[in-house]
Amino acid sequence: MSILSKLFKKQQKSKPDNYRQQQDPEKPEELPIMRDYHENISRIKEELGKSADVCIREFSLKQYKGFALYIDGLANNRMISDFFMESLLKKQEELQSDSFQNLIDKATSLGNIKIIKTWNEVYDGMLSGNTILFIDGYNKAIDVETKGWEKRAIAEPSTQLSIRGPKDSFIETLRTNTALIRRRIKSPNLWLESMKIGSVTQTDVAIMYIKGIVNEKVVTEVKQRLNRINIDSILESGYIEQLIEDQTWTTFPTIYHTERPDVVTSQLLEGRVAIFVDGTPFVLTAPAVFIQFFQAPDDYYSRFDISTGIRLLRIMSFFIALIGPSLYIAVTTFHQEMIPTAMAIAIAAQRENVPFPAFIEAVIMEVTFEILREAGLRLPRSVGQAVSIVGALVIGQAAVQAGFVSPVMVIVVALTAIANFSTPSFSMAIAARLLRFIIMLLATFLGFYGIMLAIMFMTIHLCSLRSFGVPYMSPIAPFSFSEQQDVLVRFPIWAFKNRPPLISKGNIKRTGQAQKPGPPKPNGNVANGKEKGDQS
Amino acid sequence: MKKIIVLFLLLLNSMTLLSGCWNQREMTDLAFIVAMGIDKGKNKNFDVSFQIVNPGNVSAGQNGGGQGLPIAVYKSSGDTLTEAARNATKKISRQLYYSHINVLVISEELAKEGVLNIIDACERDPGFRTTTEIVIAKDTSAEEIVSTLTILDKLPVLKITKELQSTEAMLGENLKVNVDDFVSSMISKGKNPALNGYKVMGKQSEARKASNLTVSTTEAYLKADGLAIFNKGRLVGWITQDKARGVVWVLGKVKSTDINLDWKGKKNALNVVPIRSKTKVSAKIINGHPVINVTIKEESWISEINTAINIDDPRVINQIQKKMEKTIKRQIIASIKEAQSLKCDVFGFGEKVHIANPKYWKKVQNNWDEHFANAKVIVEVKSYNRRAGVRRNPFWDALK
Repeated sequence: MSILSKLFKKQQKSKPDNYRQQQDPEKPEELPIMRDYHENISRIKEELGKSADVCIREFSLKQYKGFALYIDGLANNRMISDFFMESLLKKQEELQSDSFQNLIDKATSLGNIKIIKTWNEVYDGMLSGNTILFIDGYNKAIDVETKGWEKRAIAEPSTQLSIRGPKDSFIETLRTNTALIRRRIKSPNLWLESMKIGSVTQTDVAIMYIKGIVNEKVVTEVKQRLNRINIDSILESGYIEQLIEDQTWTTFPTIYHTERPDVVTSQLLEGRVAIFVDGTPFVLTAPAVFIQFFQAPDDYYSRFDISTGIRLLRIMSFFIALIGPSLYIAVTTFHQEMIPTAMAIAIAAQRENVPFPAFIEAVIMEVTFEILREAGLRLPRSVGQAVSIVGALVIGQAAVQAGFVSPVMVIVVALTAIANFSTPSFSMAIAARLLRFIIMLLATFLGFYGIMLAIMFMTIHLCSLRSFGVPYMSPIAPFSFSEQQDVLVRFPIWAFKNRPPLISKGNIKRTGQAQKPGPPKPNGNVANGKEKGDQS
Repeated sequence: MKKIIVLFLLLLNSMTLLSGCWNQREMTDLAFIVAMGIDKGKNKNFDVSFQIVNPGNVSAGQNGGGQGLPIAVYKSSGDTLTEAARNATKKISRQLYYSHINVLVISEELAKEGVLNIIDACERDPGFRTTTEIVIAKDTSAEEIVSTLTILDKLPVLKITKELQSTEAMLGENLKVNVDDFVSSMISKGKNPALNGYKVMGKQSEARKASNLTVSTTEAYLKADGLAIFNKGRLVGWITQDKARGVVWVLGKVKSTDINLDWKGKKNALNVVPIRSKTKVSAKIINGHPVINVTIKEESWISEINTAINIDDPRVINQIQKKMEKTIKRQIIASIKEAQSLKCDVFGFGEKVHIANPKYWKKVQNNWDEHFANAKVIVEVKSYNRRAGVRRNPFWDALK
């Protein structure tokens, strides 16, 4: 531990090297825009290093000279030419003496316009796709929003699939992502606050929550933790996640991430805070609790009995993924009396010619599978097929035929692998994947006792975790009877009376009175009356 | 300070890693004993034979089930069971593993002398299960039973356990008795244990040869036969066939069996199969003598009719029921008489007397065998005929 903290200290001492740090953010006037037109151009050329995609379009309007600055590819070229340059040049006759105010008033038909005075604002605007308009003789510039870069179309989610439910997923553009949520929650209480994180990348980060449902303390906490971040780059929401999570020394995720807008919407409605990061389709939500990682969107779209069954299946398969191979090891090396005689003999017969002890056998198979899985993930799609064929042949056939592993072991590994995939959240599945090896080791040394020890330690650890002030295992530990509506058993939607009280504050009520559906009462009912009328 | 903590944590970790693997045994290092036979020894007290599975030859793996014999039998001797078991390690390459013993075979010869010196070892060893069934080798040695090969079941021991299970369920002449049951009825003053007898039929010399497995009618095979009755840990006699069924019936363990009935002068004209049966035993003390009431209620169906009969007539069914009651009653009285002549209360009547009148029981408990032999037993059978299979009146009607 001490070595690590020493390393960190050293890093903290080293000086950050980027242009924005050199100036005091409190006093942006220190680098003002010059009055002189040429001076400005040369300054831009010098500071941007004559980058090829920086476009400087010079023009003259009557006696005034000026230039427009934008980055090709970030700004929408058509927007600039049709709605900005064209209208500007056409209307030059109407321009009055005070051309600056005139330009703002009349020259452009575009919406989002602001006057800026410092170079930092110039760069910020330009680098996020805006066009900056400089006029000779003025020490200010006009920032016109012309954002328009190439973006991916909204496609089906690729990591969180569901049978029933919306098929859209987030993309790499922050504004599109927030719009996807806005379209789902048409409420003025849906608040969005944005900031830029990353001293070099200046990545747009936005937090979204529903005022009145969210716990304000969590919002301030999230903002505080985000403001604390001082790093050169944010390339994915994973950066944010790792910089703001409550506990680093755990395999369990304490912040939820998803690429599904419907999931984020439901999280917001439960009073959670969503963190959007530009450049990634993965949106973070916090606070997160353990059971949340076993809730799939389908659970809420299909009927409650089915969802309950499937959720129980998922939790069971999580345990299979966690302790499957360990159980095999423990049973075959410590507790042979636990197996029925016929099965014990069958397993013994298969292990007869295997040259390795059960643990080594299990590790060989598990590692082989992990390699295959990783390779399958990384390989180009065209080669992926080959890997799965080779893998199936190697694991399934050749290893067994060669007598290196027993067929039971193949069954165990296959079952574990498949069980692992059934956890809806990848970050939770990978935790089980990692812990599996530790539990296998303990099972080898101590048998069932070791497995129990591991599960006990895991439980204690899980109970010690918190996510933004919410106990990770809630509502199981601390147990809350009224919140069991969405834990192991998913209650019917009409029984979801309240929002989880540990997460949301304020508007806790979720459903109105008497939401339980049923056939109409026999008397005084419209449908019944009509039937009678028809018959007569 | 931090360094000390880190060092301590490292040491703590190595504790689990360096402590070795307590009790770890790879399956390939174990000899799964599935049956154990105990004979009276020649030089030492006991000759113990272990039926050990040869897993590769039993289970259908890649090798397509194995060519060799499914079991190997090793013998060793000792003055106590543990001594014999430890001596056996000189002959067996693998560690003996007792948890999968299904059957414990005791030879008749040894059983007649007493089994008390065997039982404690079976109860005390943590690996040995007290759910292991006990059978008595009748007219043969335990080793012979343990080493006989069987054709239908690859593991001979499974033949014994499955067979006991199915005859208890389908015929009711045998009982599943495990070490636990045996001990609890042995120490009870109001009950005497009964164990199953097992025989090797046919040529005993062929029983352990592989050639015994290559013919459809085996030269030698295992067969359950009768109940061995114990008193004070010693075998005192056998109750066989119908009388054995009577014993099992009174014990309330008969689920199904079959009974032949005569009809209007034709012998064995009907066969009736009880499907459900309930036995109630109660005791009363009348004039200082125990009177035992055995009430049996059974439901049955007619499985065979070999004579012309109108079973649509409820009066006929009534007659059949009456006949059935009579036959069962006769059989049960016969087996109670048999047990009384052996002075062995296999039915646990003493326990019922104890429940009915503890004071009286205190007086007679040490002499219960005599009292049992003279006790009055009233048997009452109630029979209900529920159905007659998927045919109504038999074809015999049309032949008339």
